[in-house]
Amino acid sequence: MTKSTDVSMKDPRQSKVSCLLSASIVSVLLATPAFALTDTERINALEKQISDMASGMSRHDTSGEGLQMHGFMDVGFTANSMKDPINYPTGFNVGALSFYLTPNFGDRVKALVEPNFEISSDGSVSTDLERLQIGYTFSDTATLWGGRFHTPYGYWNTAFHHGAQMQTSVLRPRFLAFEDQGGILPAHMVGLWSTGKAKAGTGKFTYDLFAGNGPKIVMGAPTAATPTIQTLGTQDINLAGDNNHQAMVGFNLGYEFSRSLDGLRIAVHSLRGDVDDNSDGTLITTKLNKTELNMVGGSVVYLGGDWEVMSEYYRFNDKDKSGTTGTHKSWADYIQIGRSFNALTPYVRFEKTELNQLDNYFNVQASGQSYSRQALGMRYNLSPKAALKFELLNSSFKPDTVGTVARTASSYRSVYAQYAIGF
Amino acid sequence: MKSLMFKACSAAILLLLASQGASAGEVVVISNSGLAISADEVRDIFLGEKQFAGSTKLDVIDNAALQDEFLSKVMHMDAPKYHSVWTKKSFRDGLTPPAVKSGDAEVIEYIKRTTGAIGYVSTAPAGVKIVK
Repeated sequence: MTKSTDVSMKDPRQSKVSCLLSASIVSVLLATPAFALTDTERINALEKQISDMASGMSRHDTSGEGLQMHGFMDVGFTANSMKDPINYPTGFNVGALSFYLTPNFGDRVKALVEPNFEISSDGSVSTDLERLQIGYTFSDTATLWGGRFHTPYGYWNTAFHHGAQMQTSVLRPRFLAFEDQGGILPAHMVGLWSTGKAKAGTGKFTYDLFAGNGPKIVMGAPTAATPTIQTLGTQDINLAGDNNHQAMVGFNLGYEFSRSLDGLRIAVHSLRGDVDDNSDGTLITTKLNKTELNMVGGSVVYLGGDWEVMSEYYRFNDKDKSGTTGTHKSWADYIQIGRSFNALTPYVRFEKTELNQLDNYFNVQASGQSYSRQALGMRYNLSPKAALKFELLNSSFKPDTVGTVARTASSYRSVYAQYAIGF
Repeated sequence: MKSLMFKACSAAILLLLASQGASAGEVVVISNSGLAISADEVRDIFLGEKQFAGSTKLDVIDNAALQDEFLSKVMHMDAPKYHSVWTKKSFRDGLTPPAVKSGDAEVIEYIKRTTGAIGYVSTAPAGVKIVK
């Protein structure tokens, strides 16, 4: 076999690779005036060239433009003691697939879009634009957002929201759940939101000021059992415009400590606005109740070392503006404590609400019944972006007959497993 | 000819690795020479808490070859914690995490030509501002 034959039988891909490599190295050598370089300079140039090639795959776009996309997804399993497969289904489930896109338009203009795909308890897939907000950063102390955002009360609602992988536990506190999953507050808002931080002493002062469409409470459709009576309602955040032409406003003011108290944040928050519903006991959809929602509260969060302590308190003093029942006081709170042992984080959570059933705002909401719940769980990080979680819940609901809608007592235990990832 | 080229490439890679290995342990925070920032602002900058120096938007760069050293010595946290902070920050505030460069040469080259750039390397180079 002659040498020329040997060459002709080479894998053509090898030849291409060799040619490309040769061409690139020759181009490097040609690009630099060889006669003017020392050996050291040549090696340095070659080193830089190799370094650039090696980093090519991992380099991020640093131009400030383009589209960054991230997201979360989770799957799980649940079982409970209710023996009611219609309203409390058990078995495997698909949680949510939530993307968040952060297109960058330069130094100060930014945007955040969060399309979400979620499986409802009846098995249907719902899609929603959880967030669609466009912002302008004036400085480190002020960014103004417009659009649909996570209402910045407390801590949990803006810190985790749909990011199941980020939160230690499987479930959110029940009263902070999303509007259609048992929450008693508008988890989203359409409007304007100003946020920022400023140095104050050794720590930082943080603020959120927001105003937007107040929610309305939309009653559910009648059932076969009660064909002429609406079922209890859920919140609708009035995405397309405010139904009562009255803005909902609020704030969240906090202080982040540093040095020996690094990781500690305390804050106060408030939310105020009129909320209408159409709970007239029939199918007529004219509004009947108007309630002035007045919420104030606070949060204490400590995320230092291996500890995670979160607590939030909400105090309601709601005024009946369509009737004559006056004002009604209610409250809700939770505390969650977790400690990490490397990849393993056991945690407990206690949550409780006392929701006055004379307050139409709570009485007409499907999730407006007073309850207490204890959670015991464990999270194991398979990697920084993947977590396995197990959670046991004990839930008790309080009977109440003072409101238009009577509430009956119930209690049940449930167990959840979740596999959540972020990307 | 081909063999010679591969030897040259291998030598260059070995030199690169040797130079990085020899300097492991040192972390020098550097910025573009036109940037006015102080050492006590470094932590806030790398956690996205401080995005501007005056009217200049900061362009934060991570150095893959030195990240563990930097996080341990300057930020006092580990990589999972750092990435967790940035995931939350990105999710809540829509910020983009620092771009990642492979090593000192890339970081230095980028910082020299980019107004607002800040990063860290293993040895203090000329032509940039030494922040910390």
